[in-house]
Amino acid sequence: MKKLVSLQVNGVEREVAVHPHHTLLEVLRNEFKLFSVREGCGIGMCGACTVLVDGKPLSSCLLLAPLAAGKDIVTVEALGQDKLHPIQQAFMDNTAFQCSYCTPGFILTTKAFLEENPSPTPDEIKEYLAGNLCRCGSYMKIMDAVLDAAKRLQPQAASA
Amino acid sequence: MASPVGQNVGYIDGAERVRGQVNYVLNAELPGCLVGRILHSPVAHARVLKVDTSKAESVPGVVAVLSRNDLIDNPDIYPYYGPVVRDTPVVAIDKVRFVGDYVAAVAALDEEAAQEALDLIEVEYEELPAVFDPEEALKPGAPILHESFPPQRGATFADIIFNPGESSNRLNHFKLRKGDVESGFKEAAHIFEHTFRCPPVQHVPLEPHVTMAQVEAGRVTVWSGTQTPHVVRAQVADIFQVPLSQVRIIVHTLGGAYGSKCYPKLEPLVAVLAQKAKRPVKIVLRREEDFLTCTKHQAIITLKTGLDREGRILARKATCYFNAGAYSDISPRLIKNGGYATAGPYRIPNVWVDSYAVYTNIVPAGAFRGYGVSQAAWAYESQMDMIAEALGRDPLEFREFNVLHDGDTFATGETVHDMHYRELLLDDAKKAIGWRDGKEAWWQKPPQSGPKRRGRAITCVIKGSVTPSTSSASCKLNEDGSLNVLTSSVEMGQGAKTVLAQLAAEAAALPFEAVTVSEPDTDSTPYDQQTSSSRTTYSMGTAVTMAVNDAIEQLKTIAAEQLEISPKDLETRDGRVWVKDGSRSLAYTEVIRKSRVGNIMGNGTFATTGGLDPETGQGIGSVHWHHAAAACEVEVDVETGKVDIVQFHSSCFAGRVVNPRLCELQIEGSTLFGVGQALFEEMLYDGGQLTNPNLSDYMIPSFEDVPARLTVAAIEHPSAGEVHGIGETSVPPVMPCVANAVYNATGVRITDLPLTPEKVLRALKEQRS
Repeated sequence: MKKLVSLQVNGVEREVAVHPHHTLLEVLRNEFKLFSVREGCGIGMCGACTVLVDGKPLSSCLLLAPLAAGKDIVTVEALGQDKLHPIQQAFMDNTAFQCSYCTPGFILTTKAFLEENPSPTPDEIKEYLAGNLCRCGSYMKIMDAVLDAAKRLQPQAASA
Repeated sequence: MASPVGQNVGYIDGAERVRGQVNYVLNAELPGCLVGRILHSPVAHARVLKVDTSKAESVPGVVAVLSRNDLIDNPDIYPYYGPVVRDTPVVAIDKVRFVGDYVAAVAALDEEAAQEALDLIEVEYEELPAVFDPEEALKPGAPILHESFPPQRGATFADIIFNPGESSNRLNHFKLRKGDVESGFKEAAHIFEHTFRCPPVQHVPLEPHVTMAQVEAGRVTVWSGTQTPHVVRAQVADIFQVPLSQVRIIVHTLGGAYGSKCYPKLEPLVAVLAQKAKRPVKIVLRREEDFLTCTKHQAIITLKTGLDREGRILARKATCYFNAGAYSDISPRLIKNGGYATAGPYRIPNVWVDSYAVYTNIVPAGAFRGYGVSQAAWAYESQMDMIAEALGRDPLEFREFNVLHDGDTFATGETVHDMHYRELLLDDAKKAIGWRDGKEAWWQKPPQSGPKRRGRAITCVIKGSVTPSTSSASCKLNEDGSLNVLTSSVEMGQGAKTVLAQLAAEAAALPFEAVTVSEPDTDSTPYDQQTSSSRTTYSMGTAVTMAVNDAIEQLKTIAAEQLEISPKDLETRDGRVWVKDGSRSLAYTEVIRKSRVGNIMGNGTFATTGGLDPETGQGIGSVHWHHAAAACEVEVDVETGKVDIVQFHSSCFAGRVVNPRLCELQIEGSTLFGVGQALFEEMLYDGGQLTNPNLSDYMIPSFEDVPARLTVAAIEHPSAGEVHGIGETSVPPVMPCVANAVYNATGVRITDLPLTPEKVLRALKEQRS
């Protein structure tokens, strides 16, 4: 039996009918058509389906959709609709991807990370992003992109 | 305007990529599209006695259930496929041959109905003895997987030497006979013989296999994440027994492939299911199902190598068993590449290779980044270090002494050119790692004490690219001076669209931004054999350049009339046709608009020639040879067995680099593919049942597995006029490089991949006792 659930996705509140066993991932793709959210493993190991839930990165394959009610859900579609977000720009300028399937997950995890830690060291980046897998192996360029994004997001850079 | 070739132009669709807007087949939708799901075999080998789908069909929301009952005695469907040998049924007919084999499929309105129906399909099996090891499978009395099969061949597989065993599990046997191997061993002062093993591993593209199909008005349309749209078209046309023109394969960008998406995978099943459902059907495999599609070949390789007193390799005999799994896929070809590769990049006058593809009851093996060469290099580069040590030689100097130079003959008897091992690749690797940084050489340093031991190694490999092969391309030079490139090359993260646009822009004397590159659509994009074998930049790049040149010649002819001058006196520059003396010019736009041709179409076809003799394996194995070297330093914790790669450097010969950053990404990616295989990747079976088909139990490299220092070099050479593919040549050197460095650090020799802590620790214990 489907139930009506009210979800706040990318700043917009919407009621959707979902099965109680449907994951947030399934609902974001099938009902909201947010195709940046992608299943890689289905068990929370790869980070390809990462979304921000109340600002924290979370594998949307692990959260049942009804449990996401009342939370603020952000996908990469909300970033840089007109102009690219500085993190997106840094990923693009550093060519920090190959097939790009994992890219939205990396960008959202980076966003949460840099809010917590605006000037990370490479070791801190490796540790925080270890839950996002890139099978193409673009990690070196992702490292460059995250360091670059951190610089772009510094207050003096923003005002300059 | 500078040529964009050689520049770091970013991905042609970089903004879409960071916005999450890449159009994967995963996102494809059609009105009325049904959800498809597959029933997999729970047993490794069995006769199928009965399939009853009646209960499944009565589940509300189920539109169609496909089983052998739809295939047997159906004159409209030829129910088998396979790129070389049609041995793979659309769904099981008489037998199932591995745990995961397709038994039936359901198309339903939603996931829930499809799943419920799957559970209600009744199948009766008569279990048969099964065999999982390729050597066991060749023994007399072993269970036979395929009692007979129709030996049909596809036209694009002209290079495959087909030599199957009669009523046996021998799917194919590749033979190479160069010189006189026995007299080589007679002359030899030293003979070494070792056996090396490597397990099946999985590609794990993060986007799983996805296919959507629609059969309408006699036309079959398939949207699929495939690397081989034209092979899939031919196979689907065979199944439906319709002309090629009635089948349309559409491919979007792939979320990773690495070989796993070559040749038919889901397409036959989804297309036949869609025909039965009379509605479009889409199947997205779950991760655990994706592990059952295709793997790297498990291999057991024995090398016997004879050398003279000076350490010159005189003879090598290689016996290779490649585990093909339950169906042929591309094994008949792969064992050839894996076979001749066992000679490595070394001058060996006498070579004898027997390479076998063997059917067993595990997941079918197919193309995997490195394509047989990884297995071969694991053996020969491990053995090179073992021999160097036995002879008291520096392993680098021993390689330099035997390595191929321009004008030498390779194992296939062909003369090799553009060989840059000694002065470029090994030199680059040596400098990167500091091979002799200090008084003593790493290879002969005294035993270390303490729990952490450091060691270094250098390896090198040679790899062919599929030959003969054909790529064709077209282009449309539009009236506004923009250019459409029509190509069937598949964008799968390697940057094919970007690089082809760079090459097209250069040939057209247009800016990069003026070029748009198509996605494959077999209704409109020209033939291409495959996006694999590191061939796209070279083969399709050449075809695209030819197509653009063709259009530009036509443009000049038209402009010549307008300028009342001979076309010979014209040249193109910055989007304009110029009189060579620089006196007058016309913009492309003006020429095309004035002529009223609408647009100018250009065509180009690039076909390479070659092939090997079926009895001797002599001939032309590759249009040109890819080569790579690697150097690394490891730290082994002898208390835990854990291997930490503290530094890794990959050098890959690129000829002429089209896009430096994309080259780096490819080489870094290849290196990390190798790191996973060196240290932990392995598909584990228990009685034919795969026990780790998920990303919790099967690890792929994460950020924390990246070597502390990872550097790569795409090496150019001014005399190399050609672009060399770099997509996979840096995978094979990695595994033996790590194992050799572990030996250098600890004196422990591991001959079966991967180098897990358990294995290293066990070997250290044996060493102590």
